[in-house]
Amino acid sequence: MIPPRVPDWLLRRWFPLGTDRDTIRGDLLEELRRRDRLHGARAARAWYWREVLSLLFRGHRYTKMITLDNLLQDLKYAWRSSVRMPAFTGLVVVTLALGIGASTAIFSIVNGILLRPLPFPEPDRLLWISEATARGDVISASWMDYLDWRARARSFETLAASRGKTFNLTGLGQARRINGRIVTANFFAALRTQPVLGRGFGPADDVAGAPETALISHGFWQRLLGGDPNVVGRSITLDGKPVTVVGVLPQGFRYLREYDVFTSMGSLAGEDWITDRGNHQGFVAIGRLSQRVDKDSAARELAGIGESLTREHPATNADISIVVERLSDRLVKTVRQTLIVLFGAVGILLLIACVNVAGLLVARGSARQHEMALRSALGGKRSRLIAQLLVESSVVSFAGGVLGVALAFGLLRLLIAVAPEGTPRLDEVSIDGLALLFATAAAVGCGLLFGAFPAVHVSRANAQQALVRARTTGSSAASHRIRRVLLVAELAMALVLLTGAGLMIRTLSSLTGIDPGFRPDHVLTMHLTIPEVKGEDAHRVAVVDDVLGRINALPGVVTSAVGFSLPIDGSNWNSVFWPQDKAVPASHENLPSAAMIPVSPAYFETLGIRLVKGRAFTPADRGTTNLVAVINESLAARIWPGEDPIGKHLKQGWPERPGKWREVVGVVADLKFEGLTERTPLQLYMPIAQETAGDFHLLIRSSVPPQSLVSIVDAAVAAVSKDIAIADRRTMDAVVNQSISRQRMARLVLTVFAGIAVLLASIGLFGLISHAVTERRHEIGVRLALGAERGDVVRLVLAGGMVMTLTGIGLGLAGAALISKSLEELLFGVKPLDAVTFVAMPALLLVVSLVACALPAWRATRIAPATALRAE
Amino acid sequence: MPAPPYLGEFELQVLLVVIRLRDSAFGPDIARELEVRAGRRVSRGALYTTFDRLDDKGLLRWRTVPGTEARDGLPRRLYSATAAGLAAVRAAREVVRNLWNGLDRVLEEPLK
Repeated sequence: MIPPRVPDWLLRRWFPLGTDRDTIRGDLLEELRRRDRLHGARAARAWYWREVLSLLFRGHRYTKMITLDNLLQDLKYAWRSSVRMPAFTGLVVVTLALGIGASTAIFSIVNGILLRPLPFPEPDRLLWISEATARGDVISASWMDYLDWRARARSFETLAASRGKTFNLTGLGQARRINGRIVTANFFAALRTQPVLGRGFGPADDVAGAPETALISHGFWQRLLGGDPNVVGRSITLDGKPVTVVGVLPQGFRYLREYDVFTSMGSLAGEDWITDRGNHQGFVAIGRLSQRVDKDSAARELAGIGESLTREHPATNADISIVVERLSDRLVKTVRQTLIVLFGAVGILLLIACVNVAGLLVARGSARQHEMALRSALGGKRSRLIAQLLVESSVVSFAGGVLGVALAFGLLRLLIAVAPEGTPRLDEVSIDGLALLFATAAAVGCGLLFGAFPAVHVSRANAQQALVRARTTGSSAASHRIRRVLLVAELAMALVLLTGAGLMIRTLSSLTGIDPGFRPDHVLTMHLTIPEVKGEDAHRVAVVDDVLGRINALPGVVTSAVGFSLPIDGSNWNSVFWPQDKAVPASHENLPSAAMIPVSPAYFETLGIRLVKGRAFTPADRGTTNLVAVINESLAARIWPGEDPIGKHLKQGWPERPGKWREVVGVVADLKFEGLTERTPLQLYMPIAQETAGDFHLLIRSSVPPQSLVSIVDAAVAAVSKDIAIADRRTMDAVVNQSISRQRMARLVLTVFAGIAVLLASIGLFGLISHAVTERRHEIGVRLALGAERGDVVRLVLAGGMVMTLTGIGLGLAGAALISKSLEELLFGVKPLDAVTFVAMPALLLVVSLVACALPAWRATRIAPATALRAE
Repeated sequence: MPAPPYLGEFELQVLLVVIRLRDSAFGPDIARELEVRAGRRVSRGALYTTFDRLDDKGLLRWRTVPGTEARDGLPRRLYSATAAGLAAVRAAREVVRNLWNGLDRVLEEPLK
């Protein structure tokens, strides 16, 4: 065993060369190896770290850097000098606090909402395994394939499978729809999760015909079963069948999302449709890698198994390949781009804060060069001077860190309060410890780095020279150069953030400018599931009529309707169709496809969809009457361009199959069905009385705030039947907002960040120019005495600021142009290099900079020549 | 002979172990022996500081000997007590013995 690299390096770095060091390293090495044999490598390494640290802090003969006495002395001195300069100390503390606070708060939100850490032990060893078609489309895994993987693969400790399922829960008050998964018995072993109550699933639960068993979530147990201590063994009714609860999962357990119930495979194991190898029915495998196996070799092994399965079952597996991804990667796949953007923004803001602090410290340091030079001339050791300055900047940084933490908590609450309605998982957001640690470390580290500037600088320059010069002309050219460079960098980064914010603001305004084809305001929606009953269609139609009748009678309700799909949320049924009066194409690939949407008569009226031609459905369109359809403008234009579609006939399904021909009776405006930004699909509406469904979306247009109707609508539905499950109570505004929540969040974050960045940069600019004016007081006094106009002085001062601002803007524009590409996926209706944004934002920064320079410039004109000259 | 220098508790323990180990009084062995006999965890920082302090007081000395393979040939120190060191240990024992005198019976009976 070799010693851990970092402590060994510390040891070699800190200790003087010679036998002392060698014997100590030898002693440590000997003991390290002994401990490795006795207690294992991990314990040995931990021991080594501990001992090296104890040596660094304790060994008085070896380490001369830090001693307690000096430290106390430095702390006292630091306190005194910080209190003596309240403005400077305040600026550094506030800057650090803003940087640490803002970046931590927003990282916490990003983390809580998007990153969703996998709450399982060693999540990196969990793989998500599914299958893909020859075209590369990822599909679910065939159950039979999974069984073969499980039997043959050696790379996994555990290879489990599961599939999502929505259950109708009855028997506990009003029926409800709950999200669940059907899982193999080893599923929880793969996740290394144990129930807190009762037992987990065992192999017996997987056997076909086994009694149905379930593990329930902690939330389900508390919410719906009142935390019943005797819940194990209790029976609940899922989809009308009794299922025995065998255990309760730990609080906070989630697999990719919140699930209320996990049922065993026994219920499905024998079914024909899953034992058909060609059927891909929603299963996904989760594998926990064995020790010393990595993802790539596991993927190679599975690919090999896949090839042999293809040889053994050419009919079903010819075009099937196996897809292996890390579970954590799979999870963030859809939000990765947003994450990168937000991480970038977090990083830039933190960098700005650091640069700002650095600038301030350098300014202060150069003012103290005289002091340092003096102390050095009096025999102060360089190492002591550096140590003292480090302690000083640590004290200030620490204060900034504390304030930053407080700010992060406050800011987080504020952000949660203003977050758009429908932002998911906001309740789970909390301050992220790691982010806090990182932000603090970065800011404080930066403080330390630049805090030592004056001492380092003094030792470089001739101390005597510094002594003389510091008295006469103030700070050195070197410190000015550093500050100018830092400020230009800051301005450039601020512009990058501003540009990002500008692009997102423009995106949001074009998104909210999209006509969704309906009026989302004042509409409440919920999802209803009617239990399966014999007699089916007629029964369902009667239930729907009953529900709508009762809801229409409620106060505050204008109209109500049901539909199989919800606008924006996505179509639940897409199918090919064919018009009767057109020739059937030779190939199926050329058949048109539309969103099929069974609706009740008032659907169009409730959503405020414009009727273009013909008529909407009426209560007279029943199952027994003439079959009718309403189409959208896109469908009319595609199928019957230039013709009148009213009275034409079309049919859902393959042309050669028998089907019901429907007569087109109306044309309505296009409706955004698949989110705001997607293309509008062809849409074909039919009366729900002629094409019923077991579950559908209820839509209610109200004259009062829609949320206020939730409880009375719930009661009205319950009055019809206890067994109708209600879920997803939302306003249509929330549905629309949710579809653009990523853009909203990006806008929010970038705007807040850009605001802070501009504030910091302008403070920095103000400070630098003010400082320059103070230092050039003498020069300006002479100029004024020699007859310079006030205007010349203003120009002189402003010019200094503007040169930096324009340089910063130039660099910032280049940076923004490079970085805006990464925003592309979030943008809508705006190009990454949007001209408006790329002109407006630099202009804004220029104006802010002018304001920041104006005050010192004005002060410069107030310099009385006589006073300035007298100071000589 | 001047009064032997005062020994702290840990210094005394280290010296005693060095004397006990004789020819194998190397750093790691001393630490291990302290852990076993005195039942305390010894940090290297504390140990080497104590070696140095004992050296400063003239109670301990060492010579450097070639290292073994277990430590990649890095040299090691063989510690031994000086005459003054032995005297200091004896003096410490004398102090404890004087203080202990007459207390045996009290300490053996349960304290009230």
